[in-house]
Amino acid sequence: MEVKSASPTQEIILEVENVSKSFPGVKALDNVSFNLRRGEVHALVGENGAGKSTLMKILSGVYQPDEGVIRYKGKPVTFSNVTQAREAGIAIIYQELNLIPHLSVAANIFIGREPLTRFGTLDEKKMNADAVAMLARLNVSLDPTIKLNQLPVSKQQMVEIAKAISFDSEVLIMDEPTSALTESEINELFRIIHTLRDHGVAIIYISHRLDELKHIVDRISILRDGRSISTDDYAAISMGEIVNRMVGRKLENKFPPKQNVPTTEKILEVRHITRAGILHDISFDLYRGEILGIAGLMGAGRSELGRAIFGADPIDGGEVIMNGHKFTLRSPADAIKAGIAYLSENRKEEGLAVKMTLAENVTMANVLEICRRFGVLSRSQEIEVTQRYVKSLNIRTPSLTQIVNNLSGGNQQKVVVAKWLFCDSKILIFDEPTRGIDVGTKYAIYELIGVLAREGRGVIMISSDLPEILGLTDRVLVLHEGRLAATLTTAQTTQEEILNYAAGVA
Amino acid sequence: MSKMPTEPIKKERPESTEKAGKSGLALDKFITFAAVIVLFTFFSITARNFFTMRSILSLALQTSTITLMGIGVTFVIITGGIDLSIGSVVAFSGTVAVIAARAGLPIWLSMLIGLSVGVVTGLLNGLMITRLKLPPFIATLGTMMVVRGIALTITNANAWPAPQNFGKLGNGTIFGLGPQFPGIPYPVLIMIAVAIIFGFILSRTRLGRYTYAIGSNQEAARLSGIKVNQVKMINYVFCGLLSALVGIILASRMATSQPNSATGYEMNAIASAVIGGTSLMGGVGTVGGTVIGSFIIGILTVGLTMAGANYFMQQIVIGLVVIGAVTVDQLRSRK
Repeated sequence: MEVKSASPTQEIILEVENVSKSFPGVKALDNVSFNLRRGEVHALVGENGAGKSTLMKILSGVYQPDEGVIRYKGKPVTFSNVTQAREAGIAIIYQELNLIPHLSVAANIFIGREPLTRFGTLDEKKMNADAVAMLARLNVSLDPTIKLNQLPVSKQQMVEIAKAISFDSEVLIMDEPTSALTESEINELFRIIHTLRDHGVAIIYISHRLDELKHIVDRISILRDGRSISTDDYAAISMGEIVNRMVGRKLENKFPPKQNVPTTEKILEVRHITRAGILHDISFDLYRGEILGIAGLMGAGRSELGRAIFGADPIDGGEVIMNGHKFTLRSPADAIKAGIAYLSENRKEEGLAVKMTLAENVTMANVLEICRRFGVLSRSQEIEVTQRYVKSLNIRTPSLTQIVNNLSGGNQQKVVVAKWLFCDSKILIFDEPTRGIDVGTKYAIYELIGVLAREGRGVIMISSDLPEILGLTDRVLVLHEGRLAATLTTAQTTQEEILNYAAGVA
Repeated sequence: MSKMPTEPIKKERPESTEKAGKSGLALDKFITFAAVIVLFTFFSITARNFFTMRSILSLALQTSTITLMGIGVTFVIITGGIDLSIGSVVAFSGTVAVIAARAGLPIWLSMLIGLSVGVVTGLLNGLMITRLKLPPFIATLGTMMVVRGIALTITNANAWPAPQNFGKLGNGTIFGLGPQFPGIPYPVLIMIAVAIIFGFILSRTRLGRYTYAIGSNQEAARLSGIKVNQVKMINYVFCGLLSALVGIILASRMATSQPNSATGYEMNAIASAVIGGTSLMGGVGTVGGTVIGSFIIGILTVGLTMAGANYFMQQIVIGLVVIGAVTVDQLRSRK
């Protein structure tokens, strides 16, 4: 994996000079400069809100800069829309792929410029052949007639990359490309990135996963608070220094000191949970004050296990025991009543009603608590409750009636936590709690999880981030293909051991 | 909660410029309300006799039907659904009530039976949507055709006269002071009462809150322990019930069963909700907005009639108003 291209040419293909961009109330970019060489992979890192997205949107023609110059192949350019940028050879691949699920691979690659026959009908044959050729340039073989929604995300991403290079792109911007991929899929993606680089394509690579940069990156630029902080050869800068510059202060530890002390009192006993083809006879205990990690590869059934305990998906067998009572969890409503909370990995899709206000989201799972008789809401009580959680969780918001969609990712996560604290949940299941959240806010969330456990709750933390599992939990359950492969004590295990169990080789 | 550390949280900058979705709502309502006033003033000047107590009361009476249906369908639309069957339910429930009265049942009981027709059709719509997982458009389109067909079949498509006294609900008034002030028609009183009660339910009760939550994010609502199916069922029943109420009022006003009546009313009801700011995507809308929306349609209809424009002309104008209102809404939220 450690193959570095011998020498990216020194030719600068794209140069950003003193670019500024303001939105009402915010200066998103402040005098940012940065350059990109032909045939290099250039990482762009920074916390949420550092200005990465705005910069990328300017390069790809979505926004226009207020001040400053963008030079492409030596000439100043202004792109007034995405099409212009793409035709010039700058393409962007967003985290959320822009593909049409019901169309074929070939149709997606050539959408908007389909080859036609003499009679003006679609030339499917040529389109499919061209698609195969395009994918071959990435060393990927894929049936061009297969519908997009029948492919895994990793393959869809390859279709997106094929689409981008089919415009003869010379600059390719990738925004968090690995966030939905498994380990082996990531390696496949890196191979493709290498291929592209060796063909002289310049790649801007944006990622929150700093540890993966070492495999592919030639240079790294750091943004903070809308300003460019530095650009370095990747080999010349340490990981610690990168983080310090991103955060703007010394971040001594990625994880807070341990706050919770697990007790020996069982707060939850999970027995024989089974869901055909997905979960096989899983049993474990959770103790009061404990943080229990659930690790495993993608598709091992981590989220499914969390959702099963919460009653979110129907199961074929099994039960949970709390305080000596047996429950068959049929619905989230049952689980909530029993004191279980589930914080979904997809906050916006499953955790929040994003069109509603902060206060309405906080009380959503326990509206009864703020009701007078006959189900009549008490607005004043709602505000009072919300105020309390905004304060104790330090939620940054201009007002309690702010629409949740307008809050940052970290604050949205806290709103979800507040919702469950208001239900007085005894057991909290966090599913990928720090996905898409920046370094500084991650720390705050780790701290919060520690506090929750210290207060005598039981916390289950599902995570694909192994350092996070090792840094935070007391014990780890490792799942492999829907089965419980191992139960490990965190203090006595290693990343390698967990991975071996997860991969089924231990 | 114990004290949380305040130090490590960074200043956050929004990277996008998305505007608050709800902040403009108060203004939106003001604008639609202002539109009512402008329209009203306009017709008071251009159409003789528009600004008289008699015609104002008649306007309120005419508008009450679409307002009632609009309020019902607003609940359903906020959950992200739609109900196309309400026009047919109006005709069917009125017909059933008249048949029951003709069979010799007391008037009040006949009307109650008429209302129960709305409850039953609402339940059926709700069951198809929540249990069979049919798209609301399809389920209620089916109900619309079936219910209309039943009404036409049992009456042989004839209008049957209702017994005496059946007409009281639709034609009676209260607080009459002779010819100067003929009194407030019962249907107008019912409309006011329903608007207040259902407005309260939507904005101030748990059920209302759940209705918004489901429309805003159904999965998040379910995972918050909200009984999504149950709430949806109640909303479809409300919608059916209010339509049946309209059916009884109309049958009473005409003192006949009219299996062919109320064709296309569902579209006017949906239009009044949409003009009033209800989003067909769900999660957004108010009873107050729908009342204003229905009065915009009502004033246009009555005003244009009195100003001498024919029915076809009215259709054109109302259609343009629907498109215009939603366009304004879109432009505002895009900014």
